[in-house]
Parts: sequence; structure tokens; C-alpha cells
Amino acid sequence: MTTPRPIRGDLVAAAVLLVVLALVSVLVGVGRLSGADGVELVLVSRLPRTAAALLTGAGLAIAGLIMQTLARNRFVDPMISGSGESAGLGILAMTILAPGASIALKTLAASGAAFVGTALFLVLARRLPPTEPYLVPLFAIVYGGVVGALTTAVAWEADLLQYLSIWTNGEFSAVMQGRYELLWVISALVAVAWWVADRLTILALGRDTAVGLGLNYTVMQQAGLAIVATIAGVSVATVGLIPFVGLVVPALAVRRYGEDVRAVLPIIAAGGAGLVLSCDIVARLLRFPYEVPVGTVLGVVGTAAFIAVLLARPRHA
Amino acid sequence: MAHSLAPHADQEPRTARRERIALAALGLAAVVAIALSLTVGLKGNLAFALELRTMRLAALLQVGVAIAVSTVIFQTVTGNRILTPSLMGMDALYLLIQSVLVFTLGAVGFAALPSGLLFLGQATALALLAAVLFVPILARRSDMVLLLLAGVVLGILFRSLTDLVARLIDPNAFAVVQSATFADFNTIDETLIVPCVVVTVIGATLAWRSRHLLDVMALGEADAVGLGVAWRRAALGLVLLVGILVAVSTALVGPVALLGLLVVALAERIVGTTRHAVLLPAAALTAVVLLVGGQTILAHVFGNTLTLGIVIEFAGGLLFLLLLLSSRLR
Amino acid sequence: MTLFPRASTMLAFACAAALLACAPARAVTIDTATGPAEIDTRPDTVAVYDIAAIDTIHALGVPIAGVPDKLYLPQLGDVAGGAVVVGTLFEPDLEALNALAPDLVIVGGRSSRQAGETARVAPTIDMTIDGTHLLAEARARIEAYGALFGREDAAAPLLATLDADIAAARDAADGRGTALVVMTNGPKISVYGPGSRFGWIHNELAIPAAVDDLDAGIHGDAVSFEFIAEADPDWLIVIDRAAAIGSGEQNATQTLDNALVAGTTAWTKGQVIHLPAADLYIGAGGASATARVLEAIAEGFATAQ
Repeated sequence: MTTPRPIRGDLVAAAVLLVVLALVSVLVGVGRLSGADGVELVLVSRLPRTAAALLTGAGLAIAGLIMQTLARNRFVDPMISGSGESAGLGILAMTILAPGASIALKTLAASGAAFVGTALFLVLARRLPPTEPYLVPLFAIVYGGVVGALTTAVAWEADLLQYLSIWTNGEFSAVMQGRYELLWVISALVAVAWWVADRLTILALGRDTAVGLGLNYTVMQQAGLAIVATIAGVSVATVGLIPFVGLVVPALAVRRYGEDVRAVLPIIAAGGAGLVLSCDIVARLLRFPYEVPVGTVLGVVGTAAFIAVLLARPRHA
Repeated sequence: MAHSLAPHADQEPRTARRERIALAALGLAAVVAIALSLTVGLKGNLAFALELRTMRLAALLQVGVAIAVSTVIFQTVTGNRILTPSLMGMDALYLLIQSVLVFTLGAVGFAALPSGLLFLGQATALALLAAVLFVPILARRSDMVLLLLAGVVLGILFRSLTDLVARLIDPNAFAVVQSATFADFNTIDETLIVPCVVVTVIGATLAWRSRHLLDVMALGEADAVGLGVAWRRAALGLVLLVGILVAVSTALVGPVALLGLLVVALAERIVGTTRHAVLLPAAALTAVVLLVGGQTILAHVFGNTLTLGIVIEFAGGLLFLLLLLSSRLR
Repeated sequence: MTLFPRASTMLAFACAAALLACAPARAVTIDTATGPAEIDTRPDTVAVYDIAAIDTIHALGVPIAGVPDKLYLPQLGDVAGGAVVVGTLFEPDLEALNALAPDLVIVGGRSSRQAGETARVAPTIDMTIDGTHLLAEARARIEAYGALFGREDAAAPLLATLDADIAAARDAADGRGTALVVMTNGPKISVYGPGSRFGWIHNELAIPAAVDDLDAGIHGDAVSFEFIAEADPDWLIVIDRAAAIGSGEQNATQTLDNALVAGTTAWTKGQVIHLPAADLYIGAGGASATARVLEAIAEGFATAQ
């Protein structure tokens, strides 16, 4: 374990960076800000989009952290362990069974499906032998694959595969006033995570130690699960599937600052928010005036950089 | 595949007997699956139908062998029961190549592209990826977490790029990609079958002749070096072999992501040994049973509406999860 | 590859029978997506793997013997009744196709990649229709099928109807301002310009595009609602992707009904035209599907105030 560095300084820097990014985000877009409609455009389109990116980023990073704590494994991420696929399945089911359903209803179905899918994953993953740490990520990948295959099979039969892939592809192009408010749930969940942070740290020590320290282990696990599942469901249904944030931000932060959840939670939230927002700004500019999915930008830029970082890292003894 | 099964002197006779019985059972199952696949529901012109089915069977057999052998080798060299070539993003790369081709050439151009060229491009890309990716990673063989993470991340990278391209493709062209997204065993490009069979047979033979080397390598780098194995060179050669095998099977029928993971795990449980002389043929036979049997069932029970690739992904994944949960897979 | 001695024998018999029935076999050269192709007999038994082609051939009154498993357009329901299923748009079932012993196989669009496969069973032509000049190609295909099946008599009224529909749509849209073609996909949207698969709406109906430099490729481009607000088209021509696939939903209005789109000329004047999605999207270029799309355009421009 590395020694925690002074997080405070880094947090201030992160906060400044986020403010700058938010300003840039408000200024970048297709519509012109000059003239009478400029203010309305900022209120109706730019601010919601900025807020959505920040919320989603922070939420996904925290969801990743909590999920890793729950699974006691550094390599799980809500977006690659069935949550995203489950949400897609929910949307698909609504499209087929209730074609007239509103987008709001579909969002609800997606959240519910993601909740069930994530909960099932965590319940199953907890039954894995703890002596095999690599089984958890393996299980996660295969589980995601199974849910994905089910979704694909149904979509294939109904010829909805492309419809589904475009819906669940993570992007903020459709975000505007009245279309993203569900994401504010995430801010409440991040606050809850902050409140129970110490208990999550203890949770990571394992059942026996946690119970020995007087923690109600089961209740705490359920709470963590609920936070992860809700963040995953809401974000996938509202803006689509954004991979990689929940995996890389906590992994890097924990490596740099250590394992204390309360200490690393703010910097992880800020890191996730900053990462997603900056990628969304890039997504808006890459093929201006057209949109590129932020999930794709994150996938391409982030993964390439991450692999380079991984391979350049000196080997641990 | 022919294989001799001389029981090792140091093996207990009971174990050797179990291995023999298990292999014989697998062989029988494979023969039954093959026989059924050639005879069930023949209609119309028998000669034509049989020729079609024989070609498809040849493809299935070699895909099964290539995937099983490459996965066994890969897991032995990386010393990891979880890693498979497809988890390292090879399937995703295949899809990416497909999407880029469709995108750049358009549906008609894509249709007109000579399949030999397609195959060449894909095989080269995949083999190169294997070499480029695993040579640096092999140097850090001890850090399995890193390997796994790198694989997952790489898979996401390729999938993201594929998604991007898919967004840029109109639905008809996307549908062409879609059909190339899943393993397609019904319409196999026959011009590829013969060269692919040659490569697969050569690859499988090389793997078979390396079975003792693989047994030694399974002990880990330090022990293998102690026993006189030139580790780096052997590992590099084996990984290139894996790359070629995966490229062949992927280029021929498309991605079969979980098949490798599934057949090796199943085969190991069935034969109860990790000796490569037994494991290699067992895994190959298991793959053949699953592929040929699955294809026959799909074609004649479900009328071919679902592609085998999706079914393998789903059923294979489900079975694998159950195996993990019952912790019988150690 | 001589894989079908039996099929060719049957073909020979069929030719002989045709000769005896004093309908002289003749070679016709027709335009296909891959260039002119010479077909030397009038095909009796035909298998078609393209919805637009099925639509046009059906409209000519020619029986189709083999079709894919899904036809998407409800108007093609009676085609399926008299035909054998010979696979899907993506995967021809060669055994079923061979059992059918067709004289000709037609592929296009989605199935064009399978031409090599089906050609092993019977002569195959690729009749893919390109969307940038769809109307011209739709006409060409009607003419080609008419010549191919000897139904020039049935092709003539179809062509006349198509021309009339084109003229009606053009007149209705003439001088009514700019338009933007938008596709909704769940909550997200893409726009399509003159170079796209729906480009014919601008290119062939002479409806000016709301955005001059919309370099949207064939596939359309994902945009934010700000883009629509900025483009401020006089008309919105809307396609709902989910409806196109036959899910029966109509959420396009919900998706577009927001503060940013509300500011456009099109929305304030109620100048929004919803096109029959499946006809435009799956059956693009088929004779009856194209007629329905053109009628919807003409009607949309005529009824909006």
C-alpha cells in the first residue's frame, strides 16, 4: 500500500479545474450564445448538459468505488458487469411489450432492470470463493456477456439491435432541460456514500473484521448495493452506457491516495466528473457541429492512455 | 484428430484409466454430433446438401480445434486459467476491422471485396495484435491483475471504436456488419476453408508436438527455466501460434467469444487432468461437440433464427457462471 | 462450380416446356447495382432477398417463390402466403433455396453480401438501391423487372403512378421553404443531408435543405437539439427508427417536443411531416413503398397551414 499523499492540495486543484471545465462546457455548443435567446440557450441546454456530465461522471466513479469495495476486488465496474446490458434489456422489453410507452416509462424500466441485474451480480459474486481474486472480474465479464447475449438475441429477433445500440451508447446529445433531471438522484447518492464512507472502509476488511468492529455487515452491504444499482440504472437510462470511468478513476485514486474511502471519495467524485465532462467537450468538438458519443471518446482516449500507463508502470515486487 | 494415449509411468493407473474413458466418451459424442449434423433433415438435392454440410462441418471442426488449442496454450503460457485470446480483445478487433471495412467501402463494395483479401487483412491484424500486445505483457507475467485489466481495457477500446463506426453506418450497411458480428456458421466462405484447414492442422500439430514443453511451462517461468526451457523464446513462439489460430477461426466464422473459456474449463473437469497430452485433444473434442451439436440443434429444432454465436455466448456464459459458483472450477 | 446437375436439368426441362408452350425464350439485359447483367431466360421460379425488390415484383403481379423469413411491410402479407421461406435477409438457407430450385435469385441492400453464396444455387443479381437518387433507381428497377419478367404492361402503370406521385410531391413542396430530415432514435436524433440515404428528398424532390453545408454522409449524423434550433428549418421531415423496425411505437413527437425545437419555424407553424418509417427505411425504392412515402410527403405539405 502506498502512503496517502496530501489530498487537500489535489482537491483544490481539482475543484479549480472543474470550474474551468464547466465554464468551457457552457461556452461550447452548436447554438449561438449572442442575442436574446442566448440566456435561454444556456439555461435550457448548456447548463443541463454540463450538470449531466458532472453528475454522471461523479456517480459512475463512486459507483465503481463502492462496487469494488463490495466485491473486494479492484477490477469490477458497474458498466462492464451487466448493469448496462440489463438497462438495455429493460429498454428493449418496453419497446417490444409496450411500444407506446413514453421515454420516461422506458427510463424507469431501464433503471429497474439495471437494479435487478446489478443486484443479482453482487449477490452471485459474493458467493465466489474469496481465495480466488481473479474469479470476480472474470465472473463480471462473463455475467455481462450473458446479459448482453440475452439482450442481443431479443434485439436480433426483433430487429432492434441498432436502435438499442444507439439508445444505450453513452452520450449527452439528448440532454436538455426536462430530459435529465433524474440524474440529480446521483448527487443524493454520492452524499449518502460520503455519510457511510467509514463503514464502507471497514466493509472492505471482510465480514469477520467488520462484525468484530461492530458493523452491521449485511445492512451495509445492501446499502452499498442499492447505491451502485441506482446510479448505474439512472445513468444508463438517461445518458447511456459510459464504460471505463468506474474502473479507472477509483483504481488510479486508490493507488495514489490509499484505501480509506472517506479520504479518497471526494477526489474520486471530482476525478470522475472532470473526466466525463472533458470527454463530453471533446465529443462536441470532434465532428462539430455533429455529435460523437462520449462513451466512445472515453473508450478510445481513456483506454489507450490507461494501457500505456499500465505497461509503463514499474513492476511490483 | 489422431492422438496416442500412452499412460505416463508416473501416473496412477486409475487416473490414466479415467483419462482414457473420458477421452473416448468425448470422441464418441463428437462422432455422434458429426453424424447427426450430416444426416438430420436432408431435403432436396442430396449431393448439394451433403456438400454444403460437409463444408460447414469442416469449418466447424477447425474452428473448434483452433479455439480450443489456442486457449489451452494461451492459458498455459500466461499461467492463468481466466485469460483467453478473446478476453484480450481479439474478437473486438475483428469486429472493428469488419466495421471499418463496411464503413469505408459501403455495403456494395463490401460485398464485392474478395474474401481472400478480407481474410488476409484480418489474419494479419490479429496475429500482429497478438505479437505486439503479448510480448511486452509477457515480460510482466507475474502481474496477472495487470494482464486481466489490460485485456478488459483493450476490449473496451475496440468495442468503443466499433460503436463509433456503427453509428456512422446506415442501417442497411449496419445490418451487414451485424451479420458479421456474430459467428456465422451457415454461410461460410468456402474459398477460405482449405487454406484455413491447412493452417489449423499445422498449428494443431505444432501444439501437439509441444505438449511436453507446455507441461513444463505450466510449472511457471522459474521452474521451467530451471528445467532448461528458453522461456522467452518458447513463449513468444507459442503466442504467435495462438494469434494465428485465433485469426484463422475468427476470420472464417467470426467471433465466438466464450467458447474457448468454456471448452477448456469443461474439458478439464471431464478428464480431471492438466496434462496437455490429454487436455489438448479433450478441449478440441469438447469444442467440436458443442459447435457441431449446437449448430445441428439450431438448424433443425429452432429453424436457424438465432445465430449460434449468440447462443454460445449465452448458454456458454450461463454454464460457466454456474461452474464458478459451484466452485468446481479451481 | 457445377454443384447442381439436377437444377440445371430441371432448368433445361423448364426451357423446353417454355419453348413448347411457344413463349420463345429471349435474352434480356437489365441494369443491376453491379452493372448490366444478361439474363437469357424468363425466370419462372424466383427467390428474392430484398424487401424493396419483393415490393416492386409483387406490384408487377409476378409470383415470388422464395422469400426471407420477415417482410416487415404489412402490405406484403399475401406474398409470404404463397412463398417458401429460404432463410433470412442475412443468411440464405442454401439447402432450402436449392430445394426450391429457383431460376433466378435477387439480392440487394442487406443481403447483397450473400450474392456469392446464392450464386452457387442459381444465377444471382444484386438490385441494391442507392438512397441519394432513390426515385431514379426505383424507376429503373421497375423497368428492369418489367423487362425481366415480361410484364412491361404492368410496369407502365406503375411508372405512371410513380411519376404522378413524384410530380405531386414536388408541386406540394414547391416554394414552401427549407426542410430538415430528422430521424429519432429513442431520445436521440440524427439529421440527414443531400448526400445521405434520404438525400433523394432534397435531390429529386427539389426541397431545399435547411442547412446548406450539411455534409451528412450516407448514414446521417447524430446532433443535439441545439443543432435543430440553430438550423431553424421551415419544415421538419421526421422518421421514427423504432417505428421503422415495426415496433409500432410513435415516440418521435415526444422526442422532438422540447423547448429547443419549439423555437423553430417548423414547430411553431406545425409544419412537421411524419413519414411512414418502414416504407422509407426498409422498403426504400420498392414501387408501392415509395408511392406511400411520396403520398405522405405530398399530403404533409398540402395539409400543413
